[in-house]
Amino acid sequence: MEMFNYYLKLSFRNLIRNRLFFILMISTLAVGVGVFLANIAIIKSMSSDPIPYKSDRIFNVSLNIWSLDNPDAELIEVMRYNDAMHILKNDIATHTMVHYQSKVYTRDINAKSLTRHQAIVRATTQGFFPLTDAPFAFGGVWQQDYAKQIVIGDTFNQQVFGGGNSVGKTLEIGGKPFEIVGVLKPWNLKPVFYNAAFDQAFNSTDDIYAPIETAMDNEWAIDLRNMSTDRIHSVSDNRGKNGFFLQAFVQLDTLEQKQLMQQYLDNYSQHRKAQGEYLRANDNRLLDVNEWLTHQKVVDERMLAFALASSLFLAVCIFNASSLLLARYHSARFETGLRRAVGARMKDVFYQGVVESMLIGSCCAVLTLLFGWLFLQISMTLFPALKQTSDIDITLILMGIGIALVTSFISMLYPLIRSCRTSLSTTLK
Amino acid sequence: MLNMKNISRIYRSDTIQTHALRDFNLQVNAGEFVAVTGPSGSGKSTFLNVAGLLDSFDQGAYELDGVNIQGLNDDELSRLRNEKIGFIFQNYNLIPDFNLFDNIDMPLRYRGFNAAERKRRITNALEQVGLASRANYLPSQLSGGQQQRVAIARALAGEPKILLADEPTGNLDSLMARQVMELLHTLNTEGSTIIMVTHDPDQARAVGRNVQVIDGQITDHSVYAPTHDNASIAVKV
Repeated sequence: MEMFNYYLKLSFRNLIRNRLFFILMISTLAVGVGVFLANIAIIKSMSSDPIPYKSDRIFNVSLNIWSLDNPDAELIEVMRYNDAMHILKNDIATHTMVHYQSKVYTRDINAKSLTRHQAIVRATTQGFFPLTDAPFAFGGVWQQDYAKQIVIGDTFNQQVFGGGNSVGKTLEIGGKPFEIVGVLKPWNLKPVFYNAAFDQAFNSTDDIYAPIETAMDNEWAIDLRNMSTDRIHSVSDNRGKNGFFLQAFVQLDTLEQKQLMQQYLDNYSQHRKAQGEYLRANDNRLLDVNEWLTHQKVVDERMLAFALASSLFLAVCIFNASSLLLARYHSARFETGLRRAVGARMKDVFYQGVVESMLIGSCCAVLTLLFGWLFLQISMTLFPALKQTSDIDITLILMGIGIALVTSFISMLYPLIRSCRTSLSTTLK
Repeated sequence: MLNMKNISRIYRSDTIQTHALRDFNLQVNAGEFVAVTGPSGSGKSTFLNVAGLLDSFDQGAYELDGVNIQGLNDDELSRLRNEKIGFIFQNYNLIPDFNLFDNIDMPLRYRGFNAAERKRRITNALEQVGLASRANYLPSQLSGGQQQRVAIARALAGEPKILLADEPTGNLDSLMARQVMELLHTLNTEGSTIIMVTHDPDQARAVGRNVQVIDGQITDHSVYAPTHDNASIAVKV
């Protein structure tokens, strides 16, 4: 311990004596690690499991019923109203939810102002809430499929009602009243797995949740993406027609449930084929949450390319820091030689270097976190879509500190080895 | 104390080999003061480097205080340097931003002494060289002669078996050189074994034994009976 303290004292002295040099060297490393850390923060957030305790039990249902027979076509994520209703009512899954997303303009019916708020609506089924474990702060879910009742999210509740228990209050949407029966707690899903199909995995959770039948009957269809082979006049006109706009997720808690559901889907599609519908090869899939997110490529390939670039940049920074250290050790070889001459072993010189690298690494870690945060802010300013994805949590802070320490050590390793092997007889006179 | 038999040290480059030492034989007994002289490039410094375990040798046998040097690893060589050898360099080799106390403290740290023991030894060493009151001074605040006395104190603090001095007065004016030489003679009188490389024939004559090195070999070996006025009587060996 006494020698460790001595090495630490020497390291502090070296840092102070060569402060300009070390500021340059530590900054070089910290910029490299900071960029890398910011990038990792984004990718980690993008690739995280939004519902880890049950992500392997929640499945997206991809029903292969698109009428065009193209073997190279991508898996279809949306299905028709009638297909979705069959899945909803088959009683195999623990929970089933069918949904689509739209947009409405709404206001508190009792508000003096006539200003309407734009709100994202999740038209869905009761199963949405137990399947996603959306947390209720007040009230609960509607009990009837056609009820003019809704659930609202926390942010929206804050925005329109100033927060608090808004159960029993009424929203006016499209000139009609809708009773609020439930208010959610603040709820973040990263990514929003049920919304991943249309590049919206990193949006916030929704403002309003409404019964799907009610949403269709009221023709809530702003921004609705509907693929169709029939002439369809409105969203409510989809019932019984070839309008592909719904997604289905099921919670299957056992292997038996999953096998039953797969069998059901295969039988269902065969049945449709027998009835003369055009079907591709039998390829009905149940993808769990993480498979689904991978299939949707929620981790942007550009981010992966940037990760590679930032790794290379970090390597360049390490090489630069190493070059700087090599020059410093060269200039400090007199002292190293003197220490060796008066009895320091090679390992003493090495240990002293390691302590110095840890001290540098600690300074570097502080700067790294600062730079990492700064680069994250810059990234979010340049790419607003990243806003929901990016933060530096405790894991990343620890990772940043770890990388800073390791890179400092790596930078110092070669110069240190060279320093340990300094010829004593040539450095001392 | 020091026994070298047929030591050779060859420096090799791509095209040439230089025999810095060849069949070098020297025995130094405890308590002796030996001056090593010779022209530039004769091998004096190489001898001192090999003797001080700062450099290796290619052939021969070397025993220091009864320890055979051949085949020792870095840890063992470092420990020997630390415990048995005290170095006095021409350029003093003090760390400029360490005060005198910390400069002398350095080898003691590697010996593993506790703080109290280190302080005792440093204080004693500084008293021996007459600089006890300046422990907190930086080397730059001292004259050249004083700096060399600090270097001697650093060498003494470890209570080594042998002091190796490489032209210890080479950077000093005559007055300071005389003071340093007087200090070395005093240390020798008190029992220290000293080997000193020097260019100065007067200094060489003033010590007990003179070894002349030319082309890596000992060519002349004289024992003097030094007198106070340096008018010595040489006896060829």
